[in-house]
Amino acid sequence: MNDSLIQIRKLSKHYLMGETVVRALDGVSLSIQEGEFISITGHSGSGKSTMMHLLGCLDRPTSGEYWLDGDLVSEMSDRQLAVIRNRKVGFVFQTFNLIQRTSALDNVSVPLFYGRQTNVREASMQALEKVGLAHRATHTPSELSGGERQRVAIARALVNQPRILLADEPTGNLDTRTGRQIMELFHELHRTGVTIILVTHERDVALQAERIVRMRDGQIVEDRMVSEDLRDEWFSNVGQETPDRSPPPLARPAGV
Amino acid sequence: MFVLRVCMMAIRSLWIHPLRSILATLGVIIGVGAVVAAMAILEGMSARFRAGFETMGSNKVFVTPNIKRRHNRLVGSFDSLKMEDAEAISRSCGKVDRVMPQISQSGALVKFLSKNTTANILGATDAYPEISSHHIREGTFITRANVRGKANVAVLGSKVKKELFAGRPALGEKIRIFGMLGARTFTIIGVMEEKGNVAFTDVDRQVIVPVTTAMEKLYGLKSVQTIVVEAVSAEDTDITAASDQIKRLLRQRHKIRAGKDDDFEVKSQKDMVEQVGQFQSIVGIVLGSIAGISLVVGGIGIMNIMLVAVTERTREIGVRMAMGAQRTDVLIQFLIEASFVSFLGGAMGVLMGWGFANTIEQLTRVFETLTTGLSIGMALAMATFTGIVSGIYPAWKASRLDPVEALRYE
Repeated sequence: MNDSLIQIRKLSKHYLMGETVVRALDGVSLSIQEGEFISITGHSGSGKSTMMHLLGCLDRPTSGEYWLDGDLVSEMSDRQLAVIRNRKVGFVFQTFNLIQRTSALDNVSVPLFYGRQTNVREASMQALEKVGLAHRATHTPSELSGGERQRVAIARALVNQPRILLADEPTGNLDTRTGRQIMELFHELHRTGVTIILVTHERDVALQAERIVRMRDGQIVEDRMVSEDLRDEWFSNVGQETPDRSPPPLARPAGV
Repeated sequence: MFVLRVCMMAIRSLWIHPLRSILATLGVIIGVGAVVAAMAILEGMSARFRAGFETMGSNKVFVTPNIKRRHNRLVGSFDSLKMEDAEAISRSCGKVDRVMPQISQSGALVKFLSKNTTANILGATDAYPEISSHHIREGTFITRANVRGKANVAVLGSKVKKELFAGRPALGEKIRIFGMLGARTFTIIGVMEEKGNVAFTDVDRQVIVPVTTAMEKLYGLKSVQTIVVEAVSAEDTDITAASDQIKRLLRQRHKIRAGKDDDFEVKSQKDMVEQVGQFQSIVGIVLGSIAGISLVVGGIGIMNIMLVAVTERTREIGVRMAMGAQRTDVLIQFLIEASFVSFLGGAMGVLMGWGFANTIEQLTRVFETLTTGLSIGMALAMATFTGIVSGIYPAWKASRLDPVEALRYE
């Protein structure tokens, strides 16, 4: 074990589908440092969702080791995993997954509630301030726009000050402009030191991270730092292939 | 804190589907309502019976013919108690203070000149005022000589006097009483003070005549209906001793051989109050069974709605688990929700039952209903318990969901 925040060794997840074994994740090794902004990308079926579930401690691997913040979570019980999810992981979903008919503030406080914490209101309000939605605290999800809902979800993910923020296609259900705002928020959070793992199949979104991990058939096929060149190269290609959909280089992450 | 939040969540999810929630709890509402209403009526009735028996005085023992119902037929003789039995009890039972043989007949027609009324005819002896603590207001009461001589004299209850004579004096006037053997003329020798109800009869609507006169001249009876006995004290030991003495004496007088059943019954006031208690607990058991059945039905309703809720909220459960909810948190959340739904149903049922009992009371005006804190508490506790029991399976199902699968659920 080294001092990486996340250390994965030969991680595999196999499912039995009928009579065939599906190797959703096949001996993957990866390490992520504290403060990184990393994207995991790949087509559907590449294993990126399985990767996210394992990184988020929602599931246990068939084999291999997963160290998170010094804990060997791959060996943990359901009960311990729930505690790790509560304290160390913040989830952001494509469909926001807010609880209906419940105010933004109460939605944000859900993790505190399950962590049996006491300063619920104050901490939730601070998290809402961080995403710029303090003024919408009493609104229910149905009274918020898509972008605002995702901001509430991000506040909820952050409220317990987790070690990693795990975002699964966070812009997938948003229009381009709102998606861009959400990405800007991620960059802002990254600048304050939050470790962000972004799972997406959209390469233009993935390229906004510092580091990109591409998966195919349950294995990592590419793992590199994102450079200006890589971005330009890809965006120019896209520009030729699909001229109608040409996302401009978005807000550049700091330090890149 | 946790429980409070969970209760808030429960209210919210109930509020989303108000009609569905009410329909689901209908079984509990109706079940609890019916039981609360029935308990209130039962309690009210029992309280009235108990109060009625208490007005008779706790040192009383009642001797009646032993009539039993067997195979839907009455078995035993109505004629087993004679005047002489009463005299013998008075003479030879040491633990007995006063004895009064009596017969009573309700709804007899009583006539003064052209005025009519109906009254209860009580055939009694000179012991009546002391034994019943009911005293004469004017004139004199029936004397021993009247009883022995089968005199045609009558003492009126205050209401009867008012109805027949209004404000005019009644003493010395002649009234006609219509018995089984036809009308007989009686001279009024006294009027009783006002007293109200004693053991379910309004003694102010009574006309008291000598028991012998009533037997022979009005109803053609050779026996008395009841011998009212007053023991020397209300102590249990004295009551029991008096009862034993009476039993021994009457068996001997009636020549009942050993091993044969008594042809009479001796009951103390306490026995009668106990009988009310027995009746109450039998009805209680019947009501309890009905309550049990309706709560099972109600529980099925709750289980059904909870299963639907778990399915509908699969994704929410997944999100909660992702946020760090333990399986036990999810379990408790749904259990509290189920018991809360059921508790609310129970509360509505209590209101309904209480309202129903009050309506009955207003409509009948026969007795007061009594909704006790105990019956309310028990109803609510049972409803909540039903909720917990019927919530166990859905809650367990929710807590066993796989977070990954639950998050994927559409």
